[in-house]
Amino acid sequence: MEMKEKAILVVDDEGAILDIFDQVFDGTGFRVVRADCAETALEILEEKPIDVMFLDLHLPQMNGIELCRIVKSKFPHSVVYAMTGYSNLYEVASCHAAGFDDYFEKPVGIQMLREAAEKAFARTGA
Amino acid sequence: MRILIAEDDLTSMSMLAAVLQKAGHEVVEAADGAQAWEVLHKTGAPKLAILDWSMPEMDGLEVVRRVRMLETDCPPYIIMLTTRDQKTDIVTGLEAGADDYLAKPFDIGELRARVNAGRRMILLQNELREREKLQGVLEMAGAVCHELNQPLQSVLSLTELLMMEVDPGDPNFIKIRTIKEGVDRIAELTRKIRRTAQYRSKPYLSGRIIDIEGASQGENNHGNERKSDTGRG
Repeated sequence: MEMKEKAILVVDDEGAILDIFDQVFDGTGFRVVRADCAETALEILEEKPIDVMFLDLHLPQMNGIELCRIVKSKFPHSVVYAMTGYSNLYEVASCHAAGFDDYFEKPVGIQMLREAAEKAFARTGA
Repeated sequence: MRILIAEDDLTSMSMLAAVLQKAGHEVVEAADGAQAWEVLHKTGAPKLAILDWSMPEMDGLEVVRRVRMLETDCPPYIIMLTTRDQKTDIVTGLEAGADDYLAKPFDIGELRARVNAGRRMILLQNELREREKLQGVLEMAGAVCHELNQPLQSVLSLTELLMMEVDPGDPNFIKIRTIKEGVDRIAELTRKIRRTAQYRSKPYLSGRIIDIEGASQGENNHGNERKSDTGRG
């Protein structure tokens, strides 16, 4: 059976954060696919499904919560993590409702990000 | 509570003052409308005023109009004293900005009840104002947290990567570790502010100041613990 590539889609409108994900997962067996907005993320996913993703909640135009809803409806087996620099209780409740598998507040430590990715791939069976 | 009574009739003034003082209020007296205006347009003025309609110098209606022109976030609660059966006056007084009215000759029980109603309204307005202020501060705190946490993510991750790459025996390792300790402290502070900000939807509005330490200590008690880690790696 062909092994799925361990690609992680990271969606954040800040290039610096995308750079950080590149470096955090560099040499760990994961490949970071970058998207700076929800629309680009969906285009990438249409071309080649990626099972694990980290989405920033505050994105231009379509936000992370809406994006998660679409991703989960199209790819129900994907593991989707939310990331945010700030949130209120309403947003946390919306995250659960949208189907996020977990929720991380920035700044997130490297170890936690890597462990989250490992767990996600263990779940997807990749 | 401090209450201003503006009344030129000495008998009426004495009765009003006696009833209110007996009920535990501090009374500020004004013998005419001009004196009442002098008191009411200054900072620290009583939050409840009882104004007689007919007074020399300036009538109660004019005092109400002037007071309502003042730009303040804490306007006084005003009760107008009117003569019985003057419905037109009552309507005019209320439309000019009075909150309530009391007909003369007044009933002591009714006076107490109307003053108590005014007091409740003042307390409610104070609470609302505090809530609005708190809401504003929390929203600003949230926005600042968001702006801080974005660059903080970069600094934390890069510092952790450096600590993995540099040998612990290297003199630079201690410097990098010191940077990480500083980042952790800032991250902890933004986390506390965030927890505090989340209290806005909770019944935590009796306090006058935002106690970051105190509010953030309650974070594990409401089943809303987040994942965040700056201490590992």
